[in-house]
This record gives sequence, C-alpha cells and structure tokens, in this order.
Amino acid sequence: MSDKQVTQAAARSEATTTTDPEPTPSTSGDDTTPGRAPDDHGPRGSNGDDRAVDLAMPHLGQIEQAFVERWHENATGCFSSGHKFCREVCPVTQVTRNENHTPTAFHANVIGLEKGHLSVEDVADDYVHCTQCGGCEVRCPNTLMVGDFYRARTETVKVVRAMRAMLVDKGLDREKWKVWNRLTDELKNEPVLGVEGEQPNGQAQVRDWAAGLDIPIGGDTIMFVDCEAAYYRTSVPRATAQILRKAGVEFGLMNEQWCCGGPAAEMGYVEQSMRFARHNVDDWRRSGVKRIIAIEPHDYVHFTEDYPAYFGDEFDFEVVQIIDLVAELIRDGRLELVKPIERVATYHDPCRLNKRKGIHEAPREILRAIPGLEFRDVDRVTQWSYCSGGGGGLPIEKPEITAEISRRRLEKASELDVDLLVSACVWSERPLTAAGDEAGIEVRDIIELVAESAGIEVGGRTRA
Amino acid sequence: MSGDDYRFGRYVPAEQVPPAPKRVTDQVVQRFEHVFEVDPERMTRFQQQKMPTWDTRRIVAARWDHLDAVHREFADEVLLAGEGPDPGPESTQDEGKGANE
Repeated sequence: MSDKQVTQAAARSEATTTTDPEPTPSTSGDDTTPGRAPDDHGPRGSNGDDRAVDLAMPHLGQIEQAFVERWHENATGCFSSGHKFCREVCPVTQVTRNENHTPTAFHANVIGLEKGHLSVEDVADDYVHCTQCGGCEVRCPNTLMVGDFYRARTETVKVVRAMRAMLVDKGLDREKWKVWNRLTDELKNEPVLGVEGEQPNGQAQVRDWAAGLDIPIGGDTIMFVDCEAAYYRTSVPRATAQILRKAGVEFGLMNEQWCCGGPAAEMGYVEQSMRFARHNVDDWRRSGVKRIIAIEPHDYVHFTEDYPAYFGDEFDFEVVQIIDLVAELIRDGRLELVKPIERVATYHDPCRLNKRKGIHEAPREILRAIPGLEFRDVDRVTQWSYCSGGGGGLPIEKPEITAEISRRRLEKASELDVDLLVSACVWSERPLTAAGDEAGIEVRDIIELVAESAGIEVGGRTRA
Repeated sequence: MSGDDYRFGRYVPAEQVPPAPKRVTDQVVQRFEHVFEVDPERMTRFQQQKMPTWDTRRIVAARWDHLDAVHREFADEVLLAGEGPDPGPESTQDEGKGANE
C-alpha cells in the first residue's frame, strides 16, 4: 500500500467506526471489530468465544480483505434472501437492463470476491452504475419489513461507496471522476461550470450569486449553498435568501465555504471528503454557528449522515432542510404567498429527500399553498422508482444514462398533462431541464416558485 | 409510530440517540411506541447496525406508506390484527374454481 492508500483506507475505516451516536446495549454492536474474519457457514465468534475461526482469504489483498470483512454480512443478507424487489425501483437498472448493474449484483459481488470467483477489476465499472438514490434500500424487505426489528438494514449505498473507495485505493478509479475530484480539490468547490479551460467557479466567486443581497457573514445560523446552486442555478440560493429575509429569519453565509465533500464521498474519495468536511466544521466553529440551513438535499444527507460519522459527538450542529423550514414559515403565516401562479404542475420527489430522508409531506404542503397552481400529484411510494439520474457522480461518468433516466421521468410527467415539473433538488434540475426542453415541460425549483408567489424578484439564472 | 409526528427535515444530534430499550418479552425489547426490536443480546451472529433515531422512524414510516399503497392498489378490504377472525364469505357453498369471475 502506498502512503496515499493507507490514508484513504484509514479514512474509510474511521468513517465507518463512528456512525452510531447511541450506546449500544448489545455486546455485539461494533460493526468494525478488528480482525474479525468473515464466515458464511458457521458461528462468527463475535462474543470472543472459542467458536471464532480464522478464515483469512489468501487470494485477497489487504484492501479487498478489509472490504469483504466489512460488508460480508450485509451482502449475505441480500444474497441469501434474493428478493430482488430492488431491481425494478433502480433507475439505472430500468435503463440498462443489465443484471450487473442491479443492487443485488453489488452485494453478490462481495460474496464473489470472498469466494475468489472474481476480482475487483472485473466489476469496477459496474459500480459506476448507481445514483445512490436509496430506492433499493428502502424497497428491500430486509429494510422495509424487518430493518427496525433487527436494527440491521440493507446498506447498498454504503457498499457502493465502499467499493468506489477501494477503487481509489487501488488506482482503479474512473478517469472523469479522477479529474472532477482533482479540480474540486484545487478549486475547493466542484467544477460545475465545466472541466475544460478557465471557469469562474473557484473560491473567489463562491459568493457571487449573492451580489446585491448584502448577506452578513457568520452568525448563529448560516445558509450552506451547494456548488451547483452557487455557480450554476444561482436563482435557487437567491430565492432562498430573499424568502428567509422576507419571513424574518436571520442567517449569514460561511466565511470560507468549501464544497460539502459529499460528492467526493459518493465517488470514493473519502480522504478528500473528510478534509473538506473538517474545513467547513472548523469554519462554522470559528463563526459561532449553531444551525445550518441546507438548501440542497445532497448536503442535508451529507451533513446528517457523513459528518456525524466523521466527527462523532463533536458534530453538535442542528441541520435544517430548507423545504421543512419554508413549509413552516408558510404554515405559521410568516411568509405569505399572494401572487397566483396559473400553471398545471406535478412534483418530482428528489431521491435524497423522499427515499433517503422521508421528506415528502413538506413540499406537497408548499405546493398546495401556492395560489393558482393546479397540483397533480404522484404518490411518494410510486416515486421510489423515479429519479433524475443526477446523483452519485453518474452524470459525470455516464451522462447518457442520466439523460435517459431524466427523459423517462419527464415522460411520466407528461402522462399527467402538466406544463410544469417542480423539483426541490438543484442537482436534479439540470438533467430534468434538458429533458424538459425536449418534452415541452418547464422544470423549476420549488423555492423559485415560492419566491415568485411571494412577490420576490429573484434574479440570478436557471441555466448556464 | 407512523412518523407523522417526526420532522425528518430537522436534524438535532442529541435526538438521534435512541431511547434505552425496555424489555417487552424475553426475546423482544422496545425503544419507540409500536416499534419492537429483537433483544440485542440475541444478535450474536448477524451484527446489529448503528441506527440513529431518524433512520428507524424513516423505515417505520416507509413501511406504513408502502402498505397503504399496496392496500390501495390490491385490497378490497383491509383487516387489522386483533379485529377477530375473518368471517369468510356469506355463502358457505363451495362454488368451485372461477366462481367469482
């Protein structure tokens, strides 16, 4: 292992050993017991008794061995039950119809590695085929029906991320991801305006979206602005800031905002993700921040899942998802929606709000509060199988699959005879907008609509 | 616990520590109302995971959502456990295969 590999592997190990804030009443709770050997036949000796068996796998290298040991149980839970309900909710599988791209395959490969039937190189490209939407996890009976009972659920997203981290460790990471994350490391924000030539998306431009809004720096509450929103769809942070101000919510911006680090973690660059997270947490601490408003679903997931895993009890910040906050402001009468929007709309449940976080009521509450808007809903359970294809690094490495997933999403919207598709995830809005151009359906962010209905002149832009 | 009373859009770290389990039977414990959990001491081969409060609530809420969706799609009538035995159809005659078609 090189020094870089050691760092990456150590970072991944750290990130997976501190995921539980609770004192587990069981003696068997630690999911990363050092030296624990996988055993898919007999007792695992997890109580330290004499049943423990040394099943080291000489055909695996050190990195692969650690990966297999970590994910043996979750993979076995999938592989041995074989429900495969995950296949038809997987947005990538719906497009490629390739069994190697199914969530089931991602788990089966762990068993295959363990048994020596395949190598990491054999399956490296397969693991690109995932948006990390979480549809497979929530639809899996091992999660949906018994996950809470056993306090153990299917964790396909973590398996995919761990495999991608292993690919980085082994120098097998995909070329476009490598470039994307190198540029992110240099710019401190994602190169959302393009990886070719000079682009105005470095630290010097990170607050350009806020021109003329006179937003203070720091304070008790800060608004974290996602890279795609800060540089590409600047109408979203502008709308958000002006809505909050109109409703009397005090907030500031970060002193020096770096990318949240979430995309790096999704693509397997764990050390980079942790380094960026460390910077942001230190910046919040220096500014006296207590509460973070996450205006983008991916950030909300990263702040509430990865940051607690990285920092344990040190991470004591309250995190508020903007949709939840805006729904509350409308409900409490602090934000009045007065201007009718005479459109026929449906709502796209962003994966990281609906499937990953259970947030589906608040956006519907908001849409129903907009005067003049005819809202034609598709229930949240049906939308477990919907996606824009915009997550998990897929549009960087496989843009053609992202485009097809978005095209299919717009096809579903057109069946409702709407002229507007509303989303609440800025990362979804770029591919959905492109597909919407073809389908003749406009795509807008829910916060943009709220601002318009509140009589706010937003400014900014909705596309490059 | 359907999740209706839980705000998934608010993350407060201190609230993510699940309550201490209360014993229900010799094999089952309980941390949340209507949410039962196998006694952690029995999970000796398959490891329990580290599951924060929001995740347990999300799974339970998703289950209710899914069951509601399945009932809407497929069920003529939904019987809840504890409502007594299914009285069956009014007719006691075996009308054979395809009688309802």
